[in-house]
Amino acid sequence: MAASPVFPFMPGGAADGTRLPSGAVMLTDLTGSLRFGLKGGGSAGWLVSRGVPLPAVNRIGSWRGTRVLRLGNEDILLLAEGPDSALAELANTWHGATAPKGYSSWREEGWAWMRLSGPQAPQAMERLCALDLRADKFSAEDIAQTRVGNIEAVMVRSQAGFDVLFDVTASAYFARTVTAAARHCTDLLIDTEGHI
Amino acid sequence: MKILTCPMNGPRNIDEFQSFGPVRAEPDPDRTADADWSRHLFRAENRRGIVIEWWRHVPSNYFFLAERDLVSNEIIRTFDASERRAQP
Repeated sequence: MAASPVFPFMPGGAADGTRLPSGAVMLTDLTGSLRFGLKGGGSAGWLVSRGVPLPAVNRIGSWRGTRVLRLGNEDILLLAEGPDSALAELANTWHGATAPKGYSSWREEGWAWMRLSGPQAPQAMERLCALDLRADKFSAEDIAQTRVGNIEAVMVRSQAGFDVLFDVTASAYFARTVTAAARHCTDLLIDTEGHI
Repeated sequence: MKILTCPMNGPRNIDEFQSFGPVRAEPDPDRTADADWSRHLFRAENRRGIVIEWWRHVPSNYFFLAERDLVSNEIIRTFDASERRAQP
């Protein structure tokens, strides 16, 4: 797959010209994908009233094609897993609902969402994050709220590797940091020019 | 690397945390003598012993309490703030 640019595409912005690595370690920008976050008193109660089952804190649940990430008692992040997700409908319902319903944590605008994949992704992640991420220590239902590439992030496993969500203003920095980590941990070619 | 155990997120590098200082008494300004109120506002305690402090795990924005030995810098225990409120 050819290297792709960073989202959002703001001419002259910090991410202008930044390319995501591909090859043995690949970074995919999912920032344009659907997600929705609620935070504050009433968030959990409102979601439960809509039939969304909530997992324990720092665990992941599932609801109608949506991953449900419980970041705190009243801090929930919802990630659409595909076009069949009911998340858009849920978000529309929330906007029209009356309080108490928590408040929007602006996950769709404030956060970047990137996916680290490829055969050497675990080795690259070893250099980016201090946590023990072996499968028996960090399962597909676990959430790590920690530092990845020296920035605060929410990290979960995905089928392809790891999903990392962080401050969208650090997108270009994160892409460069992952590229550097990938080049340090593998002799395989890491491409940011779209040659492979 | 110094490790601090967050009650919500588990053991983490101390770099992930921010200290907010010791838990302090909350005197009522209307019922407190001026000298005592002044001391409360402007003077920090600086003693040896065990102190309970507010800490924040930055990536999750979670505030909790830690009991720390001011001489050895040992973290004795960390716990959720609800445990403090539960104490009589």
